[in-house]
Amino acid sequence: MQVFRRELGANRKGWLVWTIALAALNILMMSVYPSFRQDTANLEAVMNLFPEAFAKIFGLDQLSMADPIGFYATEAYFMVILFGSLYAAMLGASILSKEEDDKTIEFLLARPISRGRMLADKLLALLALLLLFNVGIGIVTFAAFAIFDVGEYSAATLLRLVTAPFLAHLTFAALAFCLALFFVRRKSATSTAIGMVIGLYFVDVLATLSDKFELLRYFTPYNYVKAVELVRNGFDPANVFVLLGVTIIAVATSFFLYNRRDITV
Amino acid sequence: MPVIETVGLTKSYGRARGIIDINLQVEEGEIFGFIGPNGAGKSTTIRTLLNFIFPTSGTAKILGLDVVRDSVSIRRQVGYLPAEVSYYDDMTVLDLLRYSARFYASDHLPYARQLADIFELDLCRPIHALSLGNRKKIGIVLALFHRPKLLIFDEPTSGLDPLMQRRFFEVLEEVNSQGTTIFFSSHVLSEVQRLCHRVGIIKEGRILHVGTMDDLRHRYFRNVRVEFKQGMVPQLALPGVLHSQQENGTLSLLYNGDINQLLAALAQYELTNLWLEEPSLEEIFLHYYEKEGV
Repeated sequence: MQVFRRELGANRKGWLVWTIALAALNILMMSVYPSFRQDTANLEAVMNLFPEAFAKIFGLDQLSMADPIGFYATEAYFMVILFGSLYAAMLGASILSKEEDDKTIEFLLARPISRGRMLADKLLALLALLLLFNVGIGIVTFAAFAIFDVGEYSAATLLRLVTAPFLAHLTFAALAFCLALFFVRRKSATSTAIGMVIGLYFVDVLATLSDKFELLRYFTPYNYVKAVELVRNGFDPANVFVLLGVTIIAVATSFFLYNRRDITV
Repeated sequence: MPVIETVGLTKSYGRARGIIDINLQVEEGEIFGFIGPNGAGKSTTIRTLLNFIFPTSGTAKILGLDVVRDSVSIRRQVGYLPAEVSYYDDMTVLDLLRYSARFYASDHLPYARQLADIFELDLCRPIHALSLGNRKKIGIVLALFHRPKLLIFDEPTSGLDPLMQRRFFEVLEEVNSQGTTIFFSSHVLSEVQRLCHRVGIIKEGRILHVGTMDDLRHRYFRNVRVEFKQGMVPQLALPGVLHSQQENGTLSLLYNGDINQLLAALAQYELTNLWLEEPSLEEIFLHYYEKEGV
């Protein structure tokens, strides 16, 4: 557990900054909601101003900003998903590649620790950081719903909306971790990971907007954590299965590759 | 049982040269010098021994354990100092020693502090503020502090000032007298000459020669200088003439053939003077570096 402890310590600052940033964003969102709610007529007018495609991307064609869950799901949720995935992917890409980039890997692998054990520790640290990240944001979000005058809402639905991002973050982190094994430099690994998160987001937007690209949506993690689905029907076990499946495959591939890797720094 | 044993150890990296058919045996209690110019394959060999890289073919054993299969138990008993020392910039020296100590079963921190004292290493300094020499000292402490049975050093003295080099050698001699085997690579001949019992010379990925220091110096090589009376310098076509140079009626040779053959050949001429000397290590190594093997 030495490497696990070390990673928690080394990444605590980044974790704190990202957690505070996204939690603050949710607080900000929910703080403006009460004034929104009081003026429903105006709200409808604003909603009609959105182009149809725009509304579709945010799920506004199926959810209403007039209720607090709908507001959170359409305005704040995607930011937690997207920015959180950026954090997850950057963390996943750098947590191992930094050792080779900083040449500290020669120190670490000269200790009596197997590569598999080292990798497992790093992955566990990644899991713990992302879990704490989502728990932190989740608690703050519930608090924001309690503090501001948002009216009636379903706590169970909100719980789904603060749980689902964790699955997306986990998937992106595992993909980035695996991807990073193809790079030696941390910079190239994180840039590629960021590109993946943003690139797949556009794929998702494209697939939502155009029937021609509809099939593409199955190839992005975003498709499996859609707010509309979560609000209306709850967790689809098949979606959870896909994300966990991809995560497990990425982790298994990482172990396979790393146990055969030549460490050249 | 040899402490290090490699059989046909080969590592090839696509086009770049790695190491080819390395056969080495280092016995318990030895100080073995691994000598060669930059890029000869010293670090590649060492990295293979520590399983940072995987051999393309051949096998290597340390303390009777396979370097690929048993790398964790090997590393428990081996101390390694890399050529380039890099540590976590957010730690102090003490943080790093503590972190490292956690990987071993027993408490090695007191000895680590003792070593840090010997090398005048300030434990409270943050690593990012340290000079190369001080980082090297951390590397030395990290290699030694768990009292390993085998020490592997890659270019250990680069960056150390002469005083610290001397202390370093003293510590090495001390742990060696307690039975620790030491394997180190270098291109600094004076330290090899001072410490090593045996040396292996590597060039372009292949071992050219393995022998004791005395072997290298006495048995094989002679610097021969001959002054001829007539001022006419003949060509000596003898097996074993490695280097030949003439100037003002004097012929200088680096010779590793049979001394009797040389004398028989010289007996045909009238000489004014003849010197037979032991060459310096530099001359021997330069010979190995410049030409193909013996």
